[in-house]
Amino acid sequence: MYAVGIDIGSITTKAAVIDDNGILGTRIISTGYNASEAGQRVFDELLRECSLKPSDIGAIISTGYGRNSVTFADKSLTEIICHGAGAHYLNPSVRAVVDVGGQDSKALLIDDKGKTKDFAMNDKCAAGTGRFLEVMARALEVDLDAFGALSLQSDTPCRISSICTVFAESEVISLISRGERREDIIAGIHESVAARVAALAHRVGVHPPLMMTGGVARNIGVVTALEKKLGMPVEVSSYAQVNGAIGAAVLALKN
Amino acid sequence: MSQTVSKTPPPIAMDEKMKEIMTNYYIEAKTASDSGKRVAWITSGGPVEPLIAMDIIPVYPENHGAMIGASKMGGSLCEQAEAMGYSGDICSYARADIASAVTCGGPIGGLPRPDMLIACNNICGTVIKWYEVLARYYDAPLFIFDTPMCHTDYPEESKRYVQRQVHEYVSFLEQVTGRKLDQDKMEEVGRLSLEAQRLWQAVLDTATARPSPMTAFDGFYHLALIVTLRGTRVAVDYYRDLLAEMEDRVAKGIGAVPNERYRLMWDNLPIWYRLKWLSKKFAAHDAALVADTYNTAWCRSLRYIDENDFLGSMAEGYTRMYLNIGVDQMADTIIEMAEKYSVDGLVMHSNRSCKPYSFGQYDIQRMVRERLDIPCLIIESHMIDERSFSEAQTETRIDAFMELVEEKNQCKER
Amino acid sequence: MHPATATEKGTFMNELDHFQEAAKNPEGYGKNLKASGRPVIGCLCSYAPEELIHAAGAHPMRLFGTKEAIVNADGHLQTYCCSLAKGVLENTLTGRLSFLDGAVFPHTCDTIQRLSDIWRLNTDYDFFADVVYPVKLNTQSALDYTVDIFERFKKNLESWSGQSLSEADLTRSIEIFNSIRDQLAEIYRMRSKDPACLSGSLLSSVVKGSMILDRDELPERLFRLRKEIEEGRYAVPGNERKKRLIVAGSLCDHPDFFSILEESDGVVVWDDLCTGSRYFDETVDIGVPPLEAIARRYVERRRPCPAKHLSNTARGEALAAMAEEHKASGVIFFLLKFCDPHAFDYPYLKEYLETRNVSVTLVEVENQLPPEGQLKTRLETFIHML
Repeated sequence: MYAVGIDIGSITTKAAVIDDNGILGTRIISTGYNASEAGQRVFDELLRECSLKPSDIGAIISTGYGRNSVTFADKSLTEIICHGAGAHYLNPSVRAVVDVGGQDSKALLIDDKGKTKDFAMNDKCAAGTGRFLEVMARALEVDLDAFGALSLQSDTPCRISSICTVFAESEVISLISRGERREDIIAGIHESVAARVAALAHRVGVHPPLMMTGGVARNIGVVTALEKKLGMPVEVSSYAQVNGAIGAAVLALKN
Repeated sequence: MSQTVSKTPPPIAMDEKMKEIMTNYYIEAKTASDSGKRVAWITSGGPVEPLIAMDIIPVYPENHGAMIGASKMGGSLCEQAEAMGYSGDICSYARADIASAVTCGGPIGGLPRPDMLIACNNICGTVIKWYEVLARYYDAPLFIFDTPMCHTDYPEESKRYVQRQVHEYVSFLEQVTGRKLDQDKMEEVGRLSLEAQRLWQAVLDTATARPSPMTAFDGFYHLALIVTLRGTRVAVDYYRDLLAEMEDRVAKGIGAVPNERYRLMWDNLPIWYRLKWLSKKFAAHDAALVADTYNTAWCRSLRYIDENDFLGSMAEGYTRMYLNIGVDQMADTIIEMAEKYSVDGLVMHSNRSCKPYSFGQYDIQRMVRERLDIPCLIIESHMIDERSFSEAQTETRIDAFMELVEEKNQCKER
Repeated sequence: MHPATATEKGTFMNELDHFQEAAKNPEGYGKNLKASGRPVIGCLCSYAPEELIHAAGAHPMRLFGTKEAIVNADGHLQTYCCSLAKGVLENTLTGRLSFLDGAVFPHTCDTIQRLSDIWRLNTDYDFFADVVYPVKLNTQSALDYTVDIFERFKKNLESWSGQSLSEADLTRSIEIFNSIRDQLAEIYRMRSKDPACLSGSLLSSVVKGSMILDRDELPERLFRLRKEIEEGRYAVPGNERKKRLIVAGSLCDHPDFFSILEESDGVVVWDDLCTGSRYFDETVDIGVPPLEAIARRYVERRRPCPAKHLSNTARGEALAAMAEEHKASGVIFFLLKFCDPHAFDYPYLKEYLETRNVSVTLVEVENQLPPEGQLKTRLETFIHML
């Protein structure tokens, strides 16, 4: 039996299909204006890619902000539960997950079955989320995808002290005008994100093995800064961005 | 800005003495258990004299908070408190102090363990919640000295209630220490406390001179003893010497700000991690902060205390503290001071860490404008959490404010 | 719709409609009451001594914040002030509370204390009083002082109304408020026993309505309402299968919160809210001098507001006992952003409850709920975890 998980996030929509033997395929598209349409489209594209028909699929679970707009799903669950299940599926020894997405960051503890035991979410402030990085990338006029690699070239990260995104942006601008190296500014930005995410992680009391998921996990600079801040290794799977969809598929398969 | 090249005034000689006294004080406090003395943690506006009279070492988490802030360690300690679940919106002294208690972090590796806790709410209600946290953490007895807010007056029933608590307080101390309070010593401590307060007021009064021999920023530093050691001979001697030094400066015409042209007043707690920056910023505009509501808070209620009956009269003195009065009375105090020190502008620190000090500032600002016609500046921060401060924004505001002050003064001169 | 009671207009309504209407439009209700000749006194929190106001012939009406945009209050209170204080100030400055004869400010937190000053300096009502409660509740001197401040408040009322307040007036008011408290507690008990008898959002409008409606009529209304609930008129089948929860915090003026929670498979079976059980918890003893009896209720109640000190662990013990008594597996802390007393207690209460196997989560709100998506994610995850 095949099971599909669909994760509709604020920026991207992700889908994964699995069976008893493993992951068959994943797909990421942009969510755009219509979440319901995005859910249908990612499902169709995923199936086409894996040469499957809708009738092959035994169970579908939707997750993410748009989870309730996926009318063809059997059930919907929150992305927190799905990230826990996904991380457990990818590495059963993981006991803590940090998920940093576009507008939210979450930290959760899971048990030996991948079930969420406790969690914390950021408040409505953008500090410590992907949005913060986007704002800073705009101020620096640097492509966000280049952030990770650039920051690794820094050995003296600038200090960004403000928590507030607006204040931090003006700090970054004054760092630019002071002639600070771009690499150092970016590394400082990563440390600032890591500090917020670490505070969240501490609030639930994370402990190793810890996995980071979500789009921001692709940024090696943030991951490295977070490792330093938490004082523990941070595992990142190549499926980090689709981890929520994988978790949804895993739970669908179990059902 | 000044055309003539001016020389920086000589540093205040007593600075060194202060450092020495505070170092000794903290060494004594941190080694209290070796010397068999008890340690009480007490709020900055709390009735400390009975502690001194009973040979209990008072320790002030708020003074510790100021040290944490001045050493720019507030942000990281606050961050640790947030990781423990404390909201980033609560008082940054409390956050940093709680984190320091748990991690022994900060400039002096945390405060010595308390044998008892004394919280007096004449400065805020926050201290009640903060000291409850400490009482649970240290499993130490907590005494709350409850001073009902005097919105418009000091009613009879408050007087009775607080006076009864003076006795409850003494009984509490006697019970915890197993010793009786020596009444003669108590009166002696009371006299020393009043003497130090009078001297401190006299020190601050020297700033009425033009040029002012000191600024509020200097005051924030020399304030430490009136907070921590009032009631001791050390504090009296110290402020007597400091007063002599300030009077000497006045006689010689030495100003804290070279070419003092503008005189400003500060409201609220200092922004501890930006003292030097702010001081330089204003000095660059030839502006001296000659008065403030914070330094004077420790001598404002002198008038209510009877030298010959300290225990019998301290209830009123402690209840009618600056922060424990209505917004209109606060405005009156500010206006009175602005006139006394002849200030040209008011700088208000809107302090996210201190709601009772900050809420009402907009109304005070309006009253000051109506009655004095001087410009007002508001800068916002969390007093020791540097992560909430925007340098660029503050700088722009200060520059714009100083333009207004300069313009007003030119009009006056014309 | 079942014909239940006849309104003034002669149409038939469910008893609950009265509560809902008042809860939706407190200002409208206040205005009508005032027009009928009754003075109306605004009350800032559940510690306002309503019996005294009522005995003086006035109507005590709880003030809530606003969901309208804050325009005028921003000129008096900074951005880091809670939405309750700002909302109340906004309402008075825009004239939405012009029907009031005045207000009473019980001493609670630093913010309300300053709001009292700002209100006094910027409004022009006939009546104004601070009731400066003690912050500690565990001493004889605090109790005596509370009697004293009620004595003063009574004099304030007398000089304003021009009539003296007799012991008989006070006792009559105490009896009315005791009946209101008893009946609200009874409705809570009915719902704890069978959460399907009434939805959470309707229950919240019953409590809120009780802080607004004419207290002389309220005991009768609550009695009829209880009968209607017993008849199953408001039944929401399915609620009995949902996860049993407690909500704790200051005020919750968001009926939608309870609906979202029920959609997420959870149901609130008791609360520790200023707009909930803290309003009706415990009654005033009869047969004791009235002012002392009222003072005793405020000082001796076992579940105090966190701005008051009963003991270092009183709130933890009370919440754990509440969870046990009502078989709740989780507590949702529903906290107003910038509310210091609650924010200080949260880390300890979380730890205290979790070590007793009660799960805890935190929802922080301002005058609006967080975006529904985010709120649902939190609540669903939490309930799924239980």
